Amino acid sequence: MNDCDERQILRATALMKVFGEGASQVRAVDGVDLQVCAGEMLLIMGPSGSGKTTLLTMLGGLLRPTSGTIEVDGVDITALKESQLTPIRRKSVGFIFQSFNLWESLSVQENVELTLNMAGVGGRTARSRARALLEQQGLGHRLRFRSRNLSGGEKQRVSIARALANEPRLLLADEPTANLDSKHGRDVMHLLRDLSRSAERAVVVVSHDQRIREVADRVLWLEDGRIKDIGQLVRDPVCGASVETDTSVTLEHEGRTYYFCSRDCRGKFQQSPERFTSGATPAPAMP
Amino acid sequence: MVPVARRNLFAEKGRFAISVAGVAFAVLLILIVLALYRGFNRTGQTFRDLPGQLWVVQRGTSDPFHSISLIDRARLASDTQVAGARATVPVLARSMNFDAGGTQVAARLMALDVPADLASSDLRDRYLPPEGAVIIDDTLRRKTGLSTGATARFGTESLKIERVRPRSPEVLFQFVWVNFADAQRIFGVGDVVMYGMVILDPGADPQAVAQAIVARDPGLQVYTKDAFAASISKEMDQTFLPVISILVAIGFIVGAAVVGLTIYTATIERTREFGVMKAVGGSGGFLYRIVLSQAAMLTGAGFVVGALGAWGVAQLAIEAVPEFATDFQLTDLAGVFVAAVFMAVLASFMPVRRINSIDPAIVFRA
Repeated sequence: MNDCDERQILRATALMKVFGEGASQVRAVDGVDLQVCAGEMLLIMGPSGSGKTTLLTMLGGLLRPTSGTIEVDGVDITALKESQLTPIRRKSVGFIFQSFNLWESLSVQENVELTLNMAGVGGRTARSRARALLEQQGLGHRLRFRSRNLSGGEKQRVSIARALANEPRLLLADEPTANLDSKHGRDVMHLLRDLSRSAERAVVVVSHDQRIREVADRVLWLEDGRIKDIGQLVRDPVCGASVETDTSVTLEHEGRTYYFCSRDCRGKFQQSPERFTSGATPAPAMP
Repeated sequence: MVPVARRNLFAEKGRFAISVAGVAFAVLLILIVLALYRGFNRTGQTFRDLPGQLWVVQRGTSDPFHSISLIDRARLASDTQVAGARATVPVLARSMNFDAGGTQVAARLMALDVPADLASSDLRDRYLPPEGAVIIDDTLRRKTGLSTGATARFGTESLKIERVRPRSPEVLFQFVWVNFADAQRIFGVGDVVMYGMVILDPGADPQAVAQAIVARDPGLQVYTKDAFAASISKEMDQTFLPVISILVAIGFIVGAAVVGLTIYTATIERTREFGVMKAVGGSGGFLYRIVLSQAAMLTGAGFVVGALGAWGVAQLAIEAVPEFATDFQLTDLAGVFVAAVFMAVLASFMPVRRINSIDPAIVFRA
């Protein structure tokens, strides 16, 4: 049993989803195995139509797989009835959406409060918890705003606060930066990474956004419903670029492995390693 | 708890207002129809208000308005002298047109020959005008324009309006109280009277007195005053109840349809939002409560507006139509409230089905 087995939050085994029948049959997800542990941020990338969203929908218990199993916090959710899935979605999973999906007739605070109400938390407790979550997201001055009047970045932060309301251990984010400008997109990326680290959560992000690769612990490539492990991302100690351990240029130095984006960077490192190793963390050297 | 239902409803204030108006219209329709029915059903109240406990009529007389009763006055006097009967008041009554300043108006003329020892000031004030005069009520005054001191022509007799009494509950005909001697001349009936109003001794059993009178003269028939009054409302029930039931049903259907359509439309518009609620763990019960709350709020607001509107419409209608008789009863109001609650539950049925069919995976669709 490895470290992740002990801290595992999500595991999918031989997951398959088939739509249609006969000639029109489509295997949207085809034999996917994955495991995400506490404190980890997993990025799932892939071309349009590769099955990313279908996979995320199944991981969140919103769509039943044709076959395979999904365990969330040790519970096989594929064996549960719809009525049993509802509390899992409420307590164990937090959703962050591309289009935010806020309740527009409600205020910012009420958007978070309502999620708490669903879990049976009401009154002053729900209000103060909602306020605290939103203040953590820097939205303390927007509590009474109608959610439709917020900027995209603010909406996404409300969406994140809502996802965190019932303290789930698994966060599922669908293209969380797609509708944001680069600054807000970057803020959201770092926020998601911090969330995975700070409270022993697992964060699974489905995205086309290459920038998220910089902050993800692991990237999976999904194509035609099948998964390909791109590998672990580390930082090039010379230029600071994110590089994949599997495909990067490497160098052993004083018993440690260093990864580089190019031979040029490796050359610079070799010329004066002390410039790049003081205070630097070798692999895995995440930002 | 977050007031989702209220927020959803008020998010579209225009539609909310129109929907409340729709429900209010339905409630108003139901309440007005019921109040009219109750008002019409009070026709005959005059017979309850008069001091006699029994009414003696010619056998076969079905009711005081549509059936003729002719009794010889001497026979009435002798055959009603039974134990327990203190006095029998001869009554002349007839529906007829009279000339009110050139306009023919229908009314029910009624005259009582009350013995002097029983003619209290209250009775005289209400029912016993002096010879050559009549007493009318406010409804008839407004219908005819006749006021105190004016003259109206009844057959060949010109009679002065002695006084105008407050509006009476009689809807079908307003009563014109005539002096007995004048009525004898107007009707030309000599010693024949229509009814005998029997005033009982204190503690006398009305049934026993009635049986004694009939035993003495099988050609007579005796009604209690309630039965005599009810003989009028019975006809009202047979005539109007089916019509009223249909109108009430239409009102109920209109109300339920308005609430149902509004909530259904609001649900359809918020399909995605309900989908998000399902996705993030909102249970079926939680969502149904939102829909039911919306329906209840809409129905509640419509009920209040409709009830106030019904009362207002009735006041306006009374101003415009003197005979417009409404009687708003608390039991009817409570009944319509219960119907409105049922309306809300019924109206929630389709939206709840719609929510059931929402796929929470909708949240991941752009």
